[in-house]
Amino acid sequence: GDSWGIFTFLCAALCNLPALPALNCTEELGAGQSIQKTYDLTRYLEHQLRTLAGTYLNYLGPPFNEPDFNPPRLARAERVPSATVDLDLWRGLTDNARLAANYRAYSRLLCYLRALDGQAGTAELRHRLGHFCSSLQGLVLSIAGVMSSLGYPLPAGPAGPPAPPGNPVAPNDFLKKMDDFWLLKELQTWLWRSAKDFNRLKKKVPPAVVTLRLEARGF
Amino acid sequence: DSHIQYERVGADVTMKCGSMDWDAAVTWTANGTDIDESHLNGSYLILKNVDLTQSGQYSCYEGSSWHLKYQTYLRVGTPPKEPVLMCRSNNYPKGFYCSWHLPTPTYIPNSFNISVIHGTREMVCEKDVFPKNRCHIRYLQLFSTVKYKVTLTVTNALGKDSTTLTFDEFAIVKPDPPESVIAKPVPNNPRRLEVSWQNPSSWPDPESFPLKFFLRYRPLILDQWQHVELSDGTSHTITDAYAGKEYIIQVAAKDNDIGTWSDWSVAVHATPWTEEPKHLTTEAQVTETTSASTSSFMPPPTTKICDKGAVVGSGAVAVCWTAGLVLAAYGVLFI
Repeated sequence: GDSWGIFTFLCAALCNLPALPALNCTEELGAGQSIQKTYDLTRYLEHQLRTLAGTYLNYLGPPFNEPDFNPPRLARAERVPSATVDLDLWRGLTDNARLAANYRAYSRLLCYLRALDGQAGTAELRHRLGHFCSSLQGLVLSIAGVMSSLGYPLPAGPAGPPAPPGNPVAPNDFLKKMDDFWLLKELQTWLWRSAKDFNRLKKKVPPAVVTLRLEARGF
Repeated sequence: DSHIQYERVGADVTMKCGSMDWDAAVTWTANGTDIDESHLNGSYLILKNVDLTQSGQYSCYEGSSWHLKYQTYLRVGTPPKEPVLMCRSNNYPKGFYCSWHLPTPTYIPNSFNISVIHGTREMVCEKDVFPKNRCHIRYLQLFSTVKYKVTLTVTNALGKDSTTLTFDEFAIVKPDPPESVIAKPVPNNPRRLEVSWQNPSSWPDPESFPLKFFLRYRPLILDQWQHVELSDGTSHTITDAYAGKEYIIQVAAKDNDIGTWSDWSVAVHATPWTEEPKHLTTEAQVTETTSASTSSFMPPPTTKICDKGAVVGSGAVAVCWTAGLVLAAYGVLFI
């Protein structure tokens, strides 16, 4: 009811944060250096996630913490942005499209992760999740920084409307845990994909290009 | 007409002489050699507890006319044990291959059937011509969260067995070792060795999927290896070699972000440059290297060992978080 609306508002507000023009959140680095930093951040997050996911899956208990656990993907899991992509399509992405896909994905993943935060069991787990969310927020901002320094417009907020009321909450405990499992899995896969995305961007965007743009903007 | 008969090691085998009656007079031969009558039960040949040496051609001849009445080829073997299956992607992101073998021989022909399931889709693993026990698959999608399930079934006339592997796309990435590893002494530098190598040729896209490398070296006379990890470039100069000692050097490769290290490359040997024992005043100081300075007092360049592990500066994030909290507080007011 009411609290869901508030949650949606908060989520939308927090997720739209980097788009607010008044807040100049990013350092004015050359895009080449920003890309490198973003790349480094994805690697850092990937390491952090390994520990976090291990702890969280143990908290969920079997079968979620079993290494062979290989459930079929339910339709409800389709809402979580998937990193899976056709190989040729991925290769052919423009820099703008590549960055935008990352930006949108992590913005939404961050929202879902924050929803997790409020319900997680132990204090230690909540602390870890909170720390991870901060780092993930940093990644979203870093990507936004790269996009703006390259002159690309930021995608407007999380793609599509938030889940309609009445559907978002899982009908039972097991399905809720499945949602959590797939969220962590997609997050992990996105971080692996981003490392490759930013590798491609690194090679294609030399720092010299961006210095010119900064000068044009009167800095 | 001729038959083939497969029997297990240790089994008892009874061979009938075709349509001949039990009390007919017959002679059996094994690979042309007459078989003693003690092995006969009437016209039936009884082989107890057969072993591998008893494989061969068995023929039955009518007693008096010496007509060939029945012939069979006996192959003694075992049913297959659980096969050993391995899958690996040495050409990421193109695809992966799986290879298999039997832990113990069966001594009779085996056939292998492999199935690859990705989520709900069954994929075709194309068998390689060479080596035989190998097949390869092309990835249709990249960055998949769904595991691959590979099942190998081995079947022969005496039985079958199977094994299954389940893995994530990233878990099986393992490049081939680096190629063309070359180690050369550096003229006028008694403690240096210049090592260079190439990306493995099976790695299709080093631009988008760069490799990092691990170099290990030791003098032949010592057991302890020294290690250097290199996040880019395909060359490295060792600067702490023991003068005059022959070195053994190897390099391994790994995708920068995913998977496991390759096997070690073929080992190369090199000895650092040593000064000629005779000092000739006319000896030209030939410097083949392109480095500017040949001074022996130049400090060795620092070897890049650590990856750049910088975390994004927290200043900018702090600003945004403050704003975020303000918004959150604003939102809370409405609850």
